[in-house]
Amino acid sequence: MKYSVFSLLGKAVTGQQKWPKIIQPQQLKPAYDIVIAGAGGHGLATAHYLATNHGINDVLVLDSGWIGGGNTARNTTIVRSDYLLNASFALKNFALQLWDGLSQELNFNLMYSPRGYFDLAHSDGELEHFLLRANAMRLGGANAEILTQKEIRKRLPGINLTQNTRYPVSGALFQPEGGVVRHDAVAWGFARSASSAGIHILQNCPLTGIKIENEKIAAVSTPHGRVDTGRLLLSAAGATSKLATLAGVSLPMEMINVQAFVSEPVKPILHAVVNYNAGLSYISQTDKGELVMGGASDGYISTARRGSFATIEDTLARAIQMFPFISHLRLMRHWSGTADIPMDGNALVGNTPIENLFINCGWGYAGFKATPAVGWAMAELLASGVLPDLLKPFSLNRFETGALIDDAGVGPYPWLH
Amino acid sequence: MLLINCPYCGERDQSEFSYGGRIRNYPALDSSASIETWHRAIHLHDSSQTPIGEYWHHECGCEQWIEINRDVDSHEMTPVSGSDALPGRGQS
Amino acid sequence: MQIRRLISGGIIDRDKSISFKFNGRRLTGYAGDTLASALLANNINLVARSIKYHRPRGILSAGLEEPSALVSCTDRQGVFVPNLKATEVVLESGLVARSQNFWPFLSVDFGATLQLGCRLLDAGFYYKTFMWPKKWWHLVYEKIIRHASGQGRIENNRDAKLYDKRMMHCQILVIGSGPAGISAAKCAAESGASVVLLEQAPTLGGSAAWEQTKVDSIPASQWLQRTSRELEQQPSIRITLNTLAFGQYDQGLVLAVEQSRNKAAAIYWRIRAKRIILASGASERPLIFPGNDRPGIMLAAAARQYIYRFAIRPGERAFLAIADEDELQATRLALEYAGVEVVGNLPRGGKLINTRGWHRLSQIRFTDELGKKQKLRCDLMCVSGGWAAQAHIAAHLGDKLTFIPSLDALLPASQMGLVFPTGSCRGLAEINDCIEDGVQQALRAAAQLGLVPEPEPDLPLPRAGPAYHQHHQDGAMAFVDLQNDVLRGDIEQALGEGYEDIELVKRYTTLGMGTDQGKTSWTNAMLELARLKREDSNTTSHTTFRPPYSPVSFGALVGADTQSNMTPVRHTPFYSAFKAAGCIFQTSGNWVYSRYFPSQNETMEQAIQREVLAVRNAVGCVDMSTLGKVDVKGSDALEFLSRIYCNNIETIKPGRLRYLLMLREDGILYDDGTVAQLADNHFLVTMTTANSAACWRWMNKLLQTQWRDLDVQLTSVSDHWASLAIAGPEARHLLRHLRPDFHIDRDSFPMASVRQGSLDENMPCRVFTVSFSGELSYEINVPAGFASSLYARVIDKGADFGITPYGLETLDILRIEKGHLSIGTEIDGRTTAADLGLGKMVSTSKAFIGSSLLQRPALSREDRLQLVGLEAVDGSSAIPLAAHLTAAPWKPGVVQLPLGHLTAAIQSPTLGRSIALALLTGGHRRMGETLWAVSPVNNQSVEVRVGSSCFVDVTGSRLHA
Repeated sequence: MKYSVFSLLGKAVTGQQKWPKIIQPQQLKPAYDIVIAGAGGHGLATAHYLATNHGINDVLVLDSGWIGGGNTARNTTIVRSDYLLNASFALKNFALQLWDGLSQELNFNLMYSPRGYFDLAHSDGELEHFLLRANAMRLGGANAEILTQKEIRKRLPGINLTQNTRYPVSGALFQPEGGVVRHDAVAWGFARSASSAGIHILQNCPLTGIKIENEKIAAVSTPHGRVDTGRLLLSAAGATSKLATLAGVSLPMEMINVQAFVSEPVKPILHAVVNYNAGLSYISQTDKGELVMGGASDGYISTARRGSFATIEDTLARAIQMFPFISHLRLMRHWSGTADIPMDGNALVGNTPIENLFINCGWGYAGFKATPAVGWAMAELLASGVLPDLLKPFSLNRFETGALIDDAGVGPYPWLH
Repeated sequence: MLLINCPYCGERDQSEFSYGGRIRNYPALDSSASIETWHRAIHLHDSSQTPIGEYWHHECGCEQWIEINRDVDSHEMTPVSGSDALPGRGQS
Repeated sequence: MQIRRLISGGIIDRDKSISFKFNGRRLTGYAGDTLASALLANNINLVARSIKYHRPRGILSAGLEEPSALVSCTDRQGVFVPNLKATEVVLESGLVARSQNFWPFLSVDFGATLQLGCRLLDAGFYYKTFMWPKKWWHLVYEKIIRHASGQGRIENNRDAKLYDKRMMHCQILVIGSGPAGISAAKCAAESGASVVLLEQAPTLGGSAAWEQTKVDSIPASQWLQRTSRELEQQPSIRITLNTLAFGQYDQGLVLAVEQSRNKAAAIYWRIRAKRIILASGASERPLIFPGNDRPGIMLAAAARQYIYRFAIRPGERAFLAIADEDELQATRLALEYAGVEVVGNLPRGGKLINTRGWHRLSQIRFTDELGKKQKLRCDLMCVSGGWAAQAHIAAHLGDKLTFIPSLDALLPASQMGLVFPTGSCRGLAEINDCIEDGVQQALRAAAQLGLVPEPEPDLPLPRAGPAYHQHHQDGAMAFVDLQNDVLRGDIEQALGEGYEDIELVKRYTTLGMGTDQGKTSWTNAMLELARLKREDSNTTSHTTFRPPYSPVSFGALVGADTQSNMTPVRHTPFYSAFKAAGCIFQTSGNWVYSRYFPSQNETMEQAIQREVLAVRNAVGCVDMSTLGKVDVKGSDALEFLSRIYCNNIETIKPGRLRYLLMLREDGILYDDGTVAQLADNHFLVTMTTANSAACWRWMNKLLQTQWRDLDVQLTSVSDHWASLAIAGPEARHLLRHLRPDFHIDRDSFPMASVRQGSLDENMPCRVFTVSFSGELSYEINVPAGFASSLYARVIDKGADFGITPYGLETLDILRIEKGHLSIGTEIDGRTTAADLGLGKMVSTSKAFIGSSLLQRPALSREDRLQLVGLEAVDGSSAIPLAAHLTAAPWKPGVVQLPLGHLTAAIQSPTLGRSIALALLTGGHRRMGETLWAVSPVNNQSVEVRVGSSCFVDVTGSRLHA
């Protein structure tokens, strides 16, 4: 049933009739063309595009927990594409183009809010580097501006740019199309679409084994038994490492904890997304009124989904430098996710040494913004067997060839990315 | 914040330390060290292993690099045996 | 007029009258009141409007679990805080409180019309609509929703309060000073442990202070007084009031915020304990029934607290719906004491149908045990569906609480990690049980610390609770979460739509996501979900409990690390001398570094122009102190250096130095610096400012973990030496005038050397002939304390030569003119030495860190980004800053993949024209080609020619002058 104000009215008037389930009732089959391990944003987006772009629906999406329960549920919902390296920019910019219009395509309000993304620079040298990025974005077809202090103040009335801050702001890179998307809705919207196309989605069903026969993927094992499959995609963020070892594939990435937190909800006061770059701190305000903040990773390997509070203190200290009024507010909730960060800080996507086994992981804490583009491209890979150009740079073997994509230039130290 | 047991200074707060990643054994620096060997040594690891061995640098204390075994899920830590081989080396 | 204040009784100070304002009305209360109790005393029951439906709301509870009575407060100092629960605000003179989320009046809120659309506004309605037209979500709908959302309005001004962060260490931390907690603290202290006791309220004792129960045979309040006195006499105990423990973290770390009573500040406490006794109590569960949210409906224990603790008559006619018999009796007695008529209570087997009353409850409708419909007039309803242990802190490390069906409660295990839950937060109800339990838990904790022998296990058992279903009824407007206006129907709807996992229900309905964190809703919601899913309630689990237990001030969490104090500021030893010379500084990382030295009203551009020409034509001086410096000694020192730098160093001799490149393990260029040999087996290594700390750590790491057999000693001397470089054609002349005690003619002291000695026989020094600027240059290092003197001498003796101090800006220009590398621009963590034209420096005769992986094929491809120089084809245009290199000029709308990007672009004072450095695909083979340098942001396109990256003195002859 289509979601719309009319169907809402209809339900309201007629009373207690139920909305259909977002995931149709389904019976697990013994075999599928494609099995996707991981029903997060990326896995479900892949499923959706398999059905929509390629007419393929003999697909099973498995998750060890609830849909979108991994990093999709935990991020700070920011979408943007202000990257210097073309490999990173191209995919994330394609994603931005897809975000715009995705609610309509899925008939699920993802609340894409292009309220603008401000990336603050704290020195002339840094601003020069931002100009380099902005120029790359413009050459790539995206909008980007460099703003002076005065212009920033005009657009962000609350921001503190005085010299009496520790790292005064000298300017900013501004991406108008950057903004936020409701993260939970992304998982739900893609799930609903994929399910209505006939794709099966199974929650609370972990992948417990991978069967390789004749050097090709043959089947997976689950608590419900063996499921044969032609192609297997491991798209489970931090859990992908363990899954890959079931197939004897070793992934060059580490799990690092990343935290985020919210204030109590207040009336609208921040109308854009702002990022602080002397140390990392990004902030936006949800439609419910909470200020959402996040920062750098906790800086050590962990799967505990529980971080060091010092990171929150540091992130918060920087947020208060930008917006001193935050001091009046209170911490309402803080949470964590496990960022899977490969050795050059960029994703691992595409083929593996095993035929018909594919991976999509290593997005660290930059995966959410790329969701629809990754889904689109992965669907193309799974459907055609040909690696799309957008994904070519992210190959698993780039650590053997040396073709690294290190946005931050930090090196094989995932806890520093 | 983790409480890390420095063998020289006792239990100290994580904020005194700098993280050094997983314990890795670098191949010897001779001509036998191939791309493959180094690739394995610094890029790959056994992801099923927990607790992991890792390095912490007691930067705001004795400045020693210590080795710790830590469960990456529960954060429970035990010092790696053999870290007492460290004294006197490479530091003043 | 406090018309509802009882004539006597209560733990309030009737001699201290406190005046405050609520929604503009001037009112009074007493010291000891909370804002909630003072409002009730003044017969103010309508306090707020709910977030979604704007329904009138009053005060449900007497504590942190309050979901409804949210207010914004401004204290006497003018400090404003929104979203406070009236029950947590301690009444103080001058308080100005306002309701939130209503318009135009609290009593007449137009937002209430939203209720008429409540069927439209069911759970998740916003996911189903607001999608057309496409741009309207952001431009129209979102704006409206944002305005309707949120609770308090925040003012956009700086918080003037003072905050602080402090630490405490103890063996046993006790959280909560109710009967269980205070007994535990006393016993723990008597066992010899160092104890910290935290209490969130302004006074000790919790409910023991007012509940009319007896401990053994004396009134609880008397027992409390006696115990408090005994406690305060314990030397090893530290008590902090007004302190909320909000989270448990790894290894016994508990974080708490203390609201200070003195300067309106808050203190953020980090407490490390070996064991934690959690005595955080329990809060009562409301009942779910239609119309269960009206002002006047109150939790039974809260009603008793208002009566006994605050001496308030909370209503005239009360109806009781209380699951537990004993509690029903206790509540009756309390109401009688307060002069409230009990008009009835819900009998066993009865059902609550509905309530009436808009600004205040006026009527209850129910069926009695025979099924007969009844209605009673009442203005107060005391409800209780049982108790919910507030044991969240025990679950903060990931272990969950367990649902015990026989007790109808979510309870902690008897020890969870380092935490011993005690008292009502583990399900005990009776005060004597709680006291006994506190003692037992303290003994268990102390025993684990080796202070006392392990006690015999003899813990009191929680009593069975009332059955859930008896008192909850279906129907519209039956609220499960009062703060976020989540109805039972919403939960049912969520399930129906396939959001089955409790986490999905929470996110879809926003249940428990309010500022009360669902304290009064979670257990009910879990039971409701289990019932709807027809599962056993013990299979439902709770969502992850995360800190903070209750919202805590951001200001406190940052403490004094605000404004310029956020991180330490580093000055070089020359700072004060430079400042006196009128230097303009800039923040560069943690350093405050000299930027330029304007003379007489110069602009920055003019100053830089002058400084550059001075260095090229006369002599300048610049601070190089921030570079990392490491002293390396030992019989294996050279071997060590040879392993970590890619250059051939074997042939270095005492008194000489080399420019070196350090690669990462993966072959990428990491840092550049120098190594100077001071003596046999004694070297001084320098590294860039940016990587100074990281290189120091790296060198130590290698020696301590990989190469323990090497005989090498490292000493960081970065901060020990001040370093001033004098550079320019006159540099040697100037150096002579500084009277070094070693020969400095060209042959005695050539480029790439080091000498140690003194200046003018009274200033120790090390002088290095190394040049970043490309001019003849001496880096004079003196012990840091001599910096000002050195500078003074240099300026004095250099006056004849036109000595010109310069800073970062000029340093950068000079190095760009020479094509020298800088961290972050050319050395960007992606380039190799060969990319930057330094391939010849990479030894092919030895293995070193990075040598193997440097052989990876992609690192030597010809189409890599390689360093080149650029000049404008027309000889005069300014090459745009931060441009990219493309085949064609910039045209809006035309996508071009860049062929490379600039790492620097300047107007060269030395050459009088624009030059740039760039990384260009296959650059080394493209000498002479023309390309376009484009900056779309500034709409600039300049045609440029590719050439050498060194623009000035290509042969380097000036270095050997």
